[in-house]
Amino acid sequence: MFRTLILACALIGTAFAGDPSTLVLDGSTTVGPIAKAFAEYYMQNNPDVSITVSESGSGNGAKSIVNGTCDIANMSRFMKPEEFKAAADAGKMPVAHVIAMDGIAMIVHPGNPVKELPVEKIRDIYMGTISNWKDLGGPNKKIIVVSRDTNSGTYETFETLVMNKQKMAESVEYVGSNGAVRQRIQSTDAAIGYVGLGFVDNTVKAVTVNGIAATPQTVASGTYPIARPLFMFTDGYPKLGSHLHAFVTLYLSAKGQEIIESIGFVPVTAY
Amino acid sequence: MKLATRRVLDRSFSGLGFFSIGIMAASLVVMLAPMFVRGLDAFVFKATVEHRRLMLERLGRGNRDATSGEVTRAASARQPVYDMITRFKTEINDYSADQRRIYRGAVRDLESLVRELLGPFPGEAQPVLIRQQFGQTRWDRAQAKIREILYVESYDYSDPTKMGVRIETPRVEAFRGTSLEALFPYIEAHAEEMLRPRTTVYWRFLFDGSMDAHFFGGIWPEVLGTFYLTFGAMIFAVPMGIIAAIYLVEYARDTWLIQLLRTCISSLAGVPSIVFGLFGLAFFINTLHVSESKSVLAGSITLAVLVLPTVIRASEEAIRAVPLTYREAALSLGAGKWHTIVSVILPAALPGILTSIVISMGRAAGETAPIIFTAAVSVGKPLKLWETASQPTPALPWNIYNLATEHEAVDEIRHIQFGMVLTLVVLVLLLNVTAIVLRARVSKKLRG
Repeated sequence: MFRTLILACALIGTAFAGDPSTLVLDGSTTVGPIAKAFAEYYMQNNPDVSITVSESGSGNGAKSIVNGTCDIANMSRFMKPEEFKAAADAGKMPVAHVIAMDGIAMIVHPGNPVKELPVEKIRDIYMGTISNWKDLGGPNKKIIVVSRDTNSGTYETFETLVMNKQKMAESVEYVGSNGAVRQRIQSTDAAIGYVGLGFVDNTVKAVTVNGIAATPQTVASGTYPIARPLFMFTDGYPKLGSHLHAFVTLYLSAKGQEIIESIGFVPVTAY
Repeated sequence: MKLATRRVLDRSFSGLGFFSIGIMAASLVVMLAPMFVRGLDAFVFKATVEHRRLMLERLGRGNRDATSGEVTRAASARQPVYDMITRFKTEINDYSADQRRIYRGAVRDLESLVRELLGPFPGEAQPVLIRQQFGQTRWDRAQAKIREILYVESYDYSDPTKMGVRIETPRVEAFRGTSLEALFPYIEAHAEEMLRPRTTVYWRFLFDGSMDAHFFGGIWPEVLGTFYLTFGAMIFAVPMGIIAAIYLVEYARDTWLIQLLRTCISSLAGVPSIVFGLFGLAFFINTLHVSESKSVLAGSITLAVLVLPTVIRASEEAIRAVPLTYREAALSLGAGKWHTIVSVILPAALPGILTSIVISMGRAAGETAPIIFTAAVSVGKPLKLWETASQPTPALPWNIYNLATEHEAVDEIRHIQFGMVLTLVVLVLLLNVTAIVLRARVSKKLRG
């Protein structure tokens, strides 16, 4: 009886597996808020479409698109050559859609008097050569350095734009999501970390980098030094007229732009 | 040993027993009490008029006339706020350029806070995100917002040897001598009229879907997903587990191979659950392709593998505990081995087997790691039964973690997170109570 039930479920499942009205999104926790808001908006206007969003890191997004287990991979970095190769070997052709721009804000506890950090100093902090806030004009406290895990696109961007091929110190704490970094910083007065622009709120303080504050304006104008595009990757360019196509081009519409702006990221379009 | 010594030893031992039970009970209270109190807050809370407007506009619930009457009354209480801000904005045109710039910035901050408290200003275009279409739906959140409006939080960095000290200055200081000065006492005094808080039982929290990534609404997709995953895991684990247990007790000879097998099962029970999760992703999804993406099916099978050792070991013990005389009696009456197992041994072992099943159900319901890569997503619709074979689902344990760490507005939606925690704890508690009741029932029936 049970077996037949499972079999029946499986059969119906396979019959529905090709159903185009489901979209599966996987990947970056930075793109997560945008993806969730897009999904909500899209499902409101298309009630027959079912969209699921997981936030497991850009690296997982890339793996999912290679394995064919998602329709859209949210990524906060571009695909790496080896990921492209793995995708091509698996017969997949990743196409990048740049949906928004993002700055990586350096955040500290609001009680921390340090207001300004040049990129070189940030690198020194993460390499461990500067380990006390007093060297940066702050109180005599050991710096607690928080980083994203290596699966994260934010980590990759930070590594490229700030670390300049230098290795992070062993004492660096690795955390699994933007939200977790923010929580660590807001509860630890001597900590420093980095998060996407949309995750900065009044419980933490974003320091200026090279004298430039992390705001949508400085990111859009390219003056903020640690900025990057956010991507959605699909396997090939989606078929015109499909839900997939409508979804990954949502960022081009005025509503899409408004959503991205109100979450705190920087739209690529300007209406 | 002297009698007195023995008595002292006895006493101290039972004292130790009482002590440890006391510690256990205390820790249970310390752990569960906040969960219940804060979790109930998701179901019973002081809801503002914005909550009722949300229910009416998005879900068509509530009394239309009463609610729109309330909205009108709230709007008339809010009007002075908007009037004062508009008047002030025209007033600053007369100031010097420097002052104007400072006041513009200050009033922009104030406006966005008022927008967060009361929703969009009258006449403003409807924002796309639902979270911005409504003001604070909960009185506790609204009060926190009002505090933010009344006081500016800043830090005093005057002592360079220490971390800055948090200070709150009344926001009204920034507007001293202007017409906006009157706004702050007005908001403080008329907050209740503007938001009309009323204690509300939102029992549909359990049965509503999430709205705008858990900002509003309930947790039905998560609850349903947890049910699917748990029962799915049982569908796979129970038949396999019981058959394996029967084989191990009744058929297997005591060879080294069987010994090895037993050891393997025991060590499988000790494998960290995240390993099962990664195994499920690598094997069921990427190798066997049980589904195109993560799915309830893949998650259920992974959870089944996780609880299988528990089911096997407990069922094995239950079957082994059936007295040998039962078997002998059945065989002497001419029953075959198969017949004996099905009609005599299994019924007698049923209480033990049932307990093992229900306890592993509790385990499957609460596990997070195995479903991260195989089944769970942050947001999704409630699934229909046939969709479970191909689609992933939100599930309570994973979404609690997601809301606690990854969500972009953790502090604003704590109540939803605690509501989920309460629901999960009650679910597991109910399962365990069912196990106890079932066990008692069945053994009573068996005793005749």
